[in-house]
Amino acid sequence: MTIVLGLESSCDDTAAAIVRLGDGGAEILSSVVYGQTALHADFGGVVPEIAARAHAEKIDLCVEEALTKAGLGLGAMDAIAVTSGPGLIGGVLSGVMCAKGLGAGAGLPVIGVNHLAGHALTPRLTDGLRFPYLMLLVSGGHCQFLIVEGPDRFRRLGGTIDDAPGEAFDKTAKLLGLPQPGGPAVEGEARLGDPARFAFPRPLLDREGCDMSFSGLKTALLRARDAVVAEKGGLTVQDRRDLCAGFQAAVADVLTEKSRRALARYRGAGAEEPAFAVAGGVAANTALRARLEGLCADTGIRFVAPPLALCTDNAAMIAWAGIEKLRAGAVDPADLVARPRWPLDRAQPALLGSGKKGAKA
Amino acid sequence: MPPDAPVLGFDTSAAHCAAGLFLAGRIAAKRAAPMQKGQAEHLFPMLEELLADQGLSWRDLAAIGVGIGPGNFTGIRIAVSAARGLALSLGVPAIGVSSFDVLARGQGDGPLLLSLPAPRDQLYLQRHEKGAAAGAPEVMGGMLPPELGDLTGHRIIGHDTARLATLTGSALPALERAVTPDTLGLLIAEIAVDRRAQPCPRPAPLYVRPADAAPMRDAAPAILP
Repeated sequence: MTIVLGLESSCDDTAAAIVRLGDGGAEILSSVVYGQTALHADFGGVVPEIAARAHAEKIDLCVEEALTKAGLGLGAMDAIAVTSGPGLIGGVLSGVMCAKGLGAGAGLPVIGVNHLAGHALTPRLTDGLRFPYLMLLVSGGHCQFLIVEGPDRFRRLGGTIDDAPGEAFDKTAKLLGLPQPGGPAVEGEARLGDPARFAFPRPLLDREGCDMSFSGLKTALLRARDAVVAEKGGLTVQDRRDLCAGFQAAVADVLTEKSRRALARYRGAGAEEPAFAVAGGVAANTALRARLEGLCADTGIRFVAPPLALCTDNAAMIAWAGIEKLRAGAVDPADLVARPRWPLDRAQPALLGSGKKGAKA
Repeated sequence: MPPDAPVLGFDTSAAHCAAGLFLAGRIAAKRAAPMQKGQAEHLFPMLEELLADQGLSWRDLAAIGVGIGPGNFTGIRIAVSAARGLALSLGVPAIGVSSFDVLARGQGDGPLLLSLPAPRDQLYLQRHEKGAAAGAPEVMGGMLPPELGDLTGHRIIGHDTARLATLTGSALPALERAVTPDTLGLLIAEIAVDRRAQPCPRPAPLYVRPADAAPMRDAAPAILP
């Protein structure tokens, strides 16, 4: 039996969780997430310094609550796993330093975990998927297709060359006067709108491969909004619904078509139990989920979407990734160095738009 | 808490790692290393060496003292997060000690105006009285912040005291001194020993300045019925 405490603080959620792997499988004993939405509300996005300040004063409280909820002390743990990148470095550092303090005082090993590996390995925690499986990570900060070959082996098939879809949802909400986080707000409006009224681009759909782009879609939405505002002096409720519906349809079209191409490439990976899993906050979008489910049904591949609380940022996935690393004998002390950039697949060239420091994630 | 157990102090609020171990009459050990970056990687090995040199382990500590700044935002978060993790795992208090507290140590109970260097030639200022902070710290550009209140009879200690003496019109002899990494960890440990009997909140960084963040630029359009 293995019990691991996980810590996560790489964006705007402070989280701690305890996961146990026993003969009967994996079990989440507790999972605590402190969000920061209200702190960032006035700024229309996550402000790194505000996020870092909150993490530094919350992460230990979060750990305490996770231990209390599980009814366990640190002495019952086998290890501590902590997100050491990629992400906003201020928050990552707070998590790593707190974990080092916990590990030193309790005499426990501390395992540095890649945040994206946490997301990518979650379907094994929730559904026991076998390697290799295809993964779409789609959140506010990330968008990429990966073939997950092992606890420490990921092959990137493609990803966004600019913004992540979650960021585009947030920006859309902001431009249309909807609350943050934008995903649920835009989805709610889109349900009542006409997706055909506004013609939005499907960026990079005409290009081969699995790379994507979403920044032009944001601009197109702004232009369409401004055209309506110029005509009417504002937006009607129905205009807003139609804009949301059109935007969401464009995102879903791109992700579905690129998923189709990723699945075609994945079929060559020789999986005995082929599966396509999604993770990240955007995977909570029901319209997108339905499209991807339909695609999998057409191609006869199992579709897996972990429960929402495990799709968005959490620490159970970090604890689980720590357990996977322990089991695989893949714990590397160098992984504990906090870093803003840490691509899962280090063999692939950096995506276009990553900047001169190379791939971010 | 056993009265004869040592207290560990450390600080990463600027371009250094500083640590000290204190037990009255028995231990006064210190370490410091200058570094522009890498504090997150160097801190724990330095603390472990300091303990090992005295034949001690983490479990022997009675309390943790930690430097909370003001200083480099990332640096003070590194030390504070480490101290909070240690306090939780060891079941001992973590006590936040500011650089103002360090400047004021041993300077008596009279009113003090304490001064530390801030970026862009500014100063961080705080009043202390009767051995404790009197009011919130302020950042000073050109003029004395009115929030500091009446500074009559305050001794000025710290950075750029001549400028402050002119601004306040103080006739008391000022003491120009800097917080230096060499003794910083040990001083923080000593101050933590003095305070460990008092109830104290978990340590929190002393930023003084608000987070740099601009409110949203584009206002959403009017929503028509």
